[in-house]
Amino acid sequence: MTPVGYFLVLSGILFSIGTVGVLVRRNALIMFMSIELQLNAVNLSLIAFSRQLGDLQGQVIAFFSMVVAAAEVVVGLAIIVAIFRRRRTADVDDADLLKW
Amino acid sequence: MLTTIYLVPLVPLVAAVINLFFGKRLGPKAAWLACAAMLVAFAMACVALAQLLALPVTERTVVTELYQWFSAGTFSVDVAFRLDQLSMTMLMVVTGVGSLIHLYSIGYMKDDPRYGRFFAYLNLFVAFMLILVLADNYLLLYLGWEGVGLCSYLLIGFWFEKKSAGNAAKKAFVVTRIGDTLMLIGLALMVLQVGSLGFSEVLGEGAKTLSEGTATVIALLLFCGAVGKSAQLPLHVWLPDAMEGPTPVSALIHAATMVTAGVYLLARSHVLLTETALDVVLIIGLATALYAALCAIAQDDLKRTLAYSTISQLGYMFFAIGLKEYSLAIVLLVMHACYKGLMFLGAGSVMHGLGGETDMTKMGGLRKTMPLTSAFFVVGAWSLSGLPPFSGFFSKDPIIAAAAELGDELAWLVASVAAFLSALYIGRLLFLTFFGTYRGDKHPHESPKIMTIPMGILAFLAAVGGLLTLSPKTGELEDWLRPVFGHEPEVHEGFLSESSLTSISVLIALAGAILAWYWFASGKVAWQERRARHPRTRAFLASGMGIDEGYRRVIAAPGRLVAVFLTAFDANVVDGAANGVGKLSVLVAVVGRRLQTGFVRTYALGVALGAFGLLLWLAVRA
Repeated sequence: MTPVGYFLVLSGILFSIGTVGVLVRRNALIMFMSIELQLNAVNLSLIAFSRQLGDLQGQVIAFFSMVVAAAEVVVGLAIIVAIFRRRRTADVDDADLLKW
Repeated sequence: MLTTIYLVPLVPLVAAVINLFFGKRLGPKAAWLACAAMLVAFAMACVALAQLLALPVTERTVVTELYQWFSAGTFSVDVAFRLDQLSMTMLMVVTGVGSLIHLYSIGYMKDDPRYGRFFAYLNLFVAFMLILVLADNYLLLYLGWEGVGLCSYLLIGFWFEKKSAGNAAKKAFVVTRIGDTLMLIGLALMVLQVGSLGFSEVLGEGAKTLSEGTATVIALLLFCGAVGKSAQLPLHVWLPDAMEGPTPVSALIHAATMVTAGVYLLARSHVLLTETALDVVLIIGLATALYAALCAIAQDDLKRTLAYSTISQLGYMFFAIGLKEYSLAIVLLVMHACYKGLMFLGAGSVMHGLGGETDMTKMGGLRKTMPLTSAFFVVGAWSLSGLPPFSGFFSKDPIIAAAAELGDELAWLVASVAAFLSALYIGRLLFLTFFGTYRGDKHPHESPKIMTIPMGILAFLAAVGGLLTLSPKTGELEDWLRPVFGHEPEVHEGFLSESSLTSISVLIALAGAILAWYWFASGKVAWQERRARHPRTRAFLASGMGIDEGYRRVIAAPGRLVAVFLTAFDANVVDGAANGVGKLSVLVAVVGRRLQTGFVRTYALGVALGAFGLLLWLAVRA
């Protein structure tokens, strides 16, 4: 059996890429994809631990998070499309009115 | 009537309520309603008196319990009325003199815009005063006590548009409240020690179980209440100022009835008066009698002179109580109600005729223009000075003689000096006002019949009142009152015989009156020039020996400082705390809102850094 460490390292790398993506990119769609990457990194480590411990709970949580992520994508993409239609851009730094 | 005696205070109370609500609509009828209520009350009191007289002497105490007021554990208070010789006497004074003063007020208060309200207050006062004298326990008495205080406040400040009247009302209320509070503490002590406030419990069995010290403390606390209400030293300062009220009020409340409530209270509670307490009462009473007589001499205001005179006479009453001559105190109370009420009404009549003038230096010679008022006033002044054959001679002189007969030479001497001063100041008032030539610029005229007739009746009573005490030492009124007070004061062999004591006091009064005549009416002394010679002594006496000023400095000024401090404390600390919280949150927001950049990536960075920090902390901790 592949040691759980490999999966965790891969998961960590994916999560870091996702985090950096969220922080440095301005395009809402790219940020969205980065967030999906983070979520899937976490799913990966959940499943890895589930297999390591011989417990199904981790897999169950992974399914939940996938379902929730799908729902989130629906809402999030709808918002992004709405913003794009209005402003002709998907740059998140332009949408900075919600402050003070 | 004896068991339905509660109707006597009830009738004026109902009239007061009607006048309070509908007084304005009733117009002049309000006065007639009030007077009718008073006359009904007086008639009922007369019936009760006749019925009480018909009973044998030993059964002349009728207690009527109406209902239980409240109870707490074993302690309970009833609404109960006690009719005995003492309360019957007070009942006659309050309803009798009260009725006359009500009638007089019809004329005096005519054209006042708050006519109905005046009579409502006056009736309310009478109702409370009747509750006070009829109560069968100290709490009900206290209800009446505070009630008359309230009415006194309302009536002194009746013309509240005048700032001085409003201030005088507040002063009277606050100063008497000092005494009232101490009296309430006395009642609390009574509940604690005896477990009851009923007269029969406290003054009967209860008084025997009390230790000497406790009885003294309770008696002195009650006396403190009396000192406030009856304007004795050192709480007398409110009474001269109370003259700001309408003159019938001064006559009814501040001469005839309310201020004598303290005398009634002590006479009622005489069982509790221990030797120590009696000594205190005697000294305060005597000091007040002398002090107020001295102050009265220097007053230029007609009503203030009478006010100081009242204080002085009340001092005599307390002096009599201090001598254990309770019946004599009550006899003087009754007579004083007649002649002092009369003189106040006379003063009111003078003011009525002179358009509100009260300065005696601007009067004089009024006996020509106001013959009836002058004649009645002479009777009043004659009575007060203690000259025979009017009532003052039969009421005040026996008290002074009693001091000698009880072997208290010093007290006798001081009381005699005060008696001399009494004759002097009342003579001065009489001669300055009614004799000589008119010095003012108004057109004096006699008052209408509705005012002179009540004065005439009072003058008649003041003149013949002495008949009630025909024999000065074992008078009828005293015989009547004796069962209430129980004992005969032990008579020592006096240092002078009774007849020589009487002659001495008559001579003293005569000397005072003649001196007053010589100075102010004989024309041989230029009193207006003499006045200017001792301005500082005059001002000292006229201001009541600076006691008011002393209070202003010692009590009012620090009180004002405390008030200033507390205002500042409230504005800065209390309000400051409330406002500070608001200001602080604004301040925090000014800085804190900068965190809200609106850039979604900044927030993401915050979340990431937070998560990283949390991980780091977990790692370090493990």
